Amino acid sequence: MEILRTENVDKIYKDNGVPVHALKDINLKIDKGEYLAIAGPSGSGKTTLLNLLGTLDKPTAGKIFFENSDYTSKPRRELAEFRLRKLGFIFQAYNLIPVLTALENIEFSMMLLGIPEKERRERAKTLMAELGIDDLADKRPNEMSGGQQQRVAVARAIVNNPVIVLADEPTANLDSVNGSKLLDLMERMNEEKNITFIFSSHDKQVIDRAKRLVLLKDGRIVDEK
Amino acid sequence: MLIKLAWRNIWRNKRRSIIVIGSVIVGVVALIFMDGLNNGFISQMLFNQVNLNISHIQIHKKGFNDNKVIQSFIPDKGKVEHVLLNNNKVKHFSERVVAFGLVSSAISSSGVFILGINPDDESKITTISKSIIKGKYFTGKKREIVIGNKLAEKLKVDLGGKVIALSNRPDGSIGSEVFRIVGIFRSPSSEFNKAYIFVPIKTLQNMLGIGDKIHEFAIITNDYNVTEVVKNEIRQKLNGNYEVLSYRDILPLLIMQMELYKETMYIINLIIGLALIFGIINSMLMAVFERINEIGVLMAIGMKNGKIFIMILLESLLIGLLGTAFGLITGIGLTEIISINGIDFSLFAKSLESWGIGAVIYPKLTLENLIATLLMIPFITVAGAIYPAWKAIKLEPVYAIRYV
Repeated sequence: MEILRTENVDKIYKDNGVPVHALKDINLKIDKGEYLAIAGPSGSGKTTLLNLLGTLDKPTAGKIFFENSDYTSKPRRELAEFRLRKLGFIFQAYNLIPVLTALENIEFSMMLLGIPEKERRERAKTLMAELGIDDLADKRPNEMSGGQQQRVAVARAIVNNPVIVLADEPTANLDSVNGSKLLDLMERMNEEKNITFIFSSHDKQVIDRAKRLVLLKDGRIVDEK
Repeated sequence: MLIKLAWRNIWRNKRRSIIVIGSVIVGVVALIFMDGLNNGFISQMLFNQVNLNISHIQIHKKGFNDNKVIQSFIPDKGKVEHVLLNNNKVKHFSERVVAFGLVSSAISSSGVFILGINPDDESKITTISKSIIKGKYFTGKKREIVIGNKLAEKLKVDLGGKVIALSNRPDGSIGSEVFRIVGIFRSPSSEFNKAYIFVPIKTLQNMLGIGDKIHEFAIITNDYNVTEVVKNEIRQKLNGNYEVLSYRDILPLLIMQMELYKETMYIINLIIGLALIFGIINSMLMAVFERINEIGVLMAIGMKNGKIFIMILLESLLIGLLGTAFGLITGIGLTEIISINGIDFSLFAKSLESWGIGAVIYPKLTLENLIATLLMIPFITVAGAIYPAWKAIKLEPVYAIRYV
């Protein structure tokens, strides 16, 4: 079942006043439950495409549909609500809130949804146990390793049962062992919860383990496997 | 959780937060102390006048206050006494004869207000009896006189010395009497010390040939805050032949000066508030710029602009509340300690005495000022965070996430 679709998407941004044509005529369809990697050399537009798919940015031309609904021109407030309910994000630099514990970081997006404290605490603890990170509950990010922080970031991304998780270079700051463990975790979530995962990466591990690969070069899709 | 997040965000940069909270504390202490000093100044200015002579309420024949002619007697003093005795808000009252005349010694003479009083009643109305620096207030003899220290200096007289008082009688002739100085007073007002003399009421009535007539009732109420209410109650019971005046009616210039001082305090408060606001704006802007990346992430995971805005305002509010709490405790403590002995402004004593204030000012806190400070400072800190919060929500998440 198709969940995400781009139609003739272009993105031009200004870099020190110079226009950069980051994406050219992107037409992409993604089904529910896919485990997809967007790969390509540096400057190919991977992160730009991920940002557009995640509604963090708007295309210069073209449209983006989520569940057949055009999200290209929706106002910021609606897009924020959409991201809160339907999307999850995993960043290269983990980007946990430094003053909150691991448990509180995971609870945070549930708090934004207005879920009562008792319920969100229980859900967060259950998820942490499921992901094998319940011993990190009271630790702050500066008390955790990179691998641990990224696992907490995965928990934060999936706690609201998103339809899609977008991961931008999730293993870039991890060693190969921790990177592999992280990918194991995300594959499990993809299989057990049918969450769609879209990665942007040039990590061979990520590319090799993706079930579908979209190759970008100079802002265009050049191949799909 | 937003409050928890805001609270923890404050302590990310402990040094900066402590400095900002410190500046709020200093601002609050300054406001409280300045208000207290100003209140003390105004209160002393007003209540020295009230307690010296004016009292809370005066009753005369209509027109007497504007034109103090000797013939303007209280039309029916029995009626007035009856009205006053039947008002439970009237604490004490005293009858007075008021004349303008001359007092002379062997060396010199001076124009004065001569007040004929019943010493026992008058001691409950004014503070002259407590202001005696030499001799006694009155001992009950007929021709005793109590004068101010400045007048004594001018006339070159001292305790036990004789002076002659003269004044016009109602029939136009001159009434005079020889008095012996039984007491010398010193009030906070140098002008009052020069211009007023006190004699027993019967002696003055005899000197003026007016029988048992009087010019004035001076009244003290249970609480000066109900003065206007009591004034209106008395007015309703007396007819149009009388004027019933509160101290506000008798001292309009002084009341205007007090209002002016209050307005000046608002300006000082505004200046302190502005200084605080700019400090807060600077501090919160730095706090926002340090967290651009994090704000981008919060937007990415779905936090709406409104919540981000509130989070930043909350941080500033918590700083304001902390600073206000410690500032109030410090400010109140400091002002109360200083108010025990007051602040000695002897260097400026002469000018302060001409205003009727005295060399020592006792700061005075009021609940109204404390509540105003309690509400104003947190409001200011929140106001100072509006611009930084607005800057935060204007960030584009895609650029903010990548900000280094």
